[in-house]
Amino acid sequence: MKLENFIKIPKVLGAGLVSEDGFIIEGRATYEYDTERLGAIAARVVHRIKNSFGMEGASAIIYTKENVLFLKEVEQGIVFVICQKDANVGLVKIRLNKIA
Amino acid sequence: MGDELRVDSGALIFATLADVYISSGMIDEAISILQDGLARNPNYYLAKVMLGRAYYLKGEFDKSVATLEAIYDEIKEDETANICLGHSYLKLGDNEKAVRFYEAALKINAENTEARQALEKLVPGFAAKHDVEPAKPSEEKPEIAEPSEVIHEVVLPDETGAPTGEVVLSTEPSEAIREVVLPSEPEEEVSVSSVQEETADSFIQEIPEKPIETGTVPLESLDKPVGRLMSLDSVKSVFIATKDGLLIKNYGKGENDVEAICASVAGICLDVDEAFRLLKRGGLTRCIIEKPDETICVMVVGDSLLTVITKVETKPGLVFVYARKIIEEIEEILG
Repeated sequence: MKLENFIKIPKVLGAGLVSEDGFIIEGRATYEYDTERLGAIAARVVHRIKNSFGMEGASAIIYTKENVLFLKEVEQGIVFVICQKDANVGLVKIRLNKIA
Repeated sequence: MGDELRVDSGALIFATLADVYISSGMIDEAISILQDGLARNPNYYLAKVMLGRAYYLKGEFDKSVATLEAIYDEIKEDETANICLGHSYLKLGDNEKAVRFYEAALKINAENTEARQALEKLVPGFAAKHDVEPAKPSEEKPEIAEPSEVIHEVVLPDETGAPTGEVVLSTEPSEAIREVVLPSEPEEEVSVSSVQEETADSFIQEIPEKPIETGTVPLESLDKPVGRLMSLDSVKSVFIATKDGLLIKNYGKGENDVEAICASVAGICLDVDEAFRLLKRGGLTRCIIEKPDETICVMVVGDSLLTVITKVETKPGLVFVYARKIIEEIEEILG
């Protein structure tokens, strides 16, 4: 999986692939963001969605006051992309769908 | 959960919890939480109306009247408050005041069946008059009846006591008019006036003791904007819940287990919120969960969550645009 596809998008702050238990497989982020923490959050939220709704291939977009976090469960683990609120979220979403 | 919200009564959410208590028949609990919340927010008139209604439902009609009359200037255009006052005065035996408040409710909403039915029983000729002249929506702001004078519409009876269809306006109660118009019939054992009194009593006894509709009161103004959202073909259901998963209002079409979804969504949102607060990146504002068969859009509105379940093909951006108006309304109501 090429994380560059996401990192190159303006205002994307980080992206990564984590295992189901939250360990980082691959990750890149700006200095302000800790990929390990983001990975742990991604794994926790995806795990929660899977348990709550009893489904595989969970996918979510989470908006906070400053950021937008994309989560998607794929074969290799869980992909996460974090960007600023005013980033091109549509483009991130399209690229995320392509890696499924 | 009740205890948590009880502590957070400053956020005005206590009224929502009280409404749930009332809906569940837990009137004492509702009164308790409303009194506690109103001690902190004495100008929260919606909560006072709820307290008045709770007293009425508990059978404490004098307290209901005292609570609502104290703030009547502020709530005189509240249909529910007028109905509640009408019911309470009726129970206290003050039919004249009851009629006044029923009429006030009817002026606010000419379609209010509760007020109409009560007036049909209390005011002879009311039904006949309104059959001839169906209620027209007033273009002017409705004027609330003053307690000093009540105008009665009385159908004049013929010699046998049957209504003639002729209507007169009078400040005197209908019984007095009938006594003047009807000739005395000494040969009969039962006088007309006593018959009228009996009839009036039977009317009063026949008024159905319907409990006030509590489920739609605080959020009824949301029906219209939510209705617009629900009118989208791709929207399956809309519901509002507290952040801890307690359902406040459901506009769903009954296809989903709403309570389970509320709990799941609340759990996910709580997780995300905590995680992002640890990162010091602000709390959750909204969230889109994509399931294979549907999409769940969740928006944080104060201490509540507005959840919209749509078909997969729906564009979440469109949902958020439609939901903006509802969010404003919810914030206004729930604080």
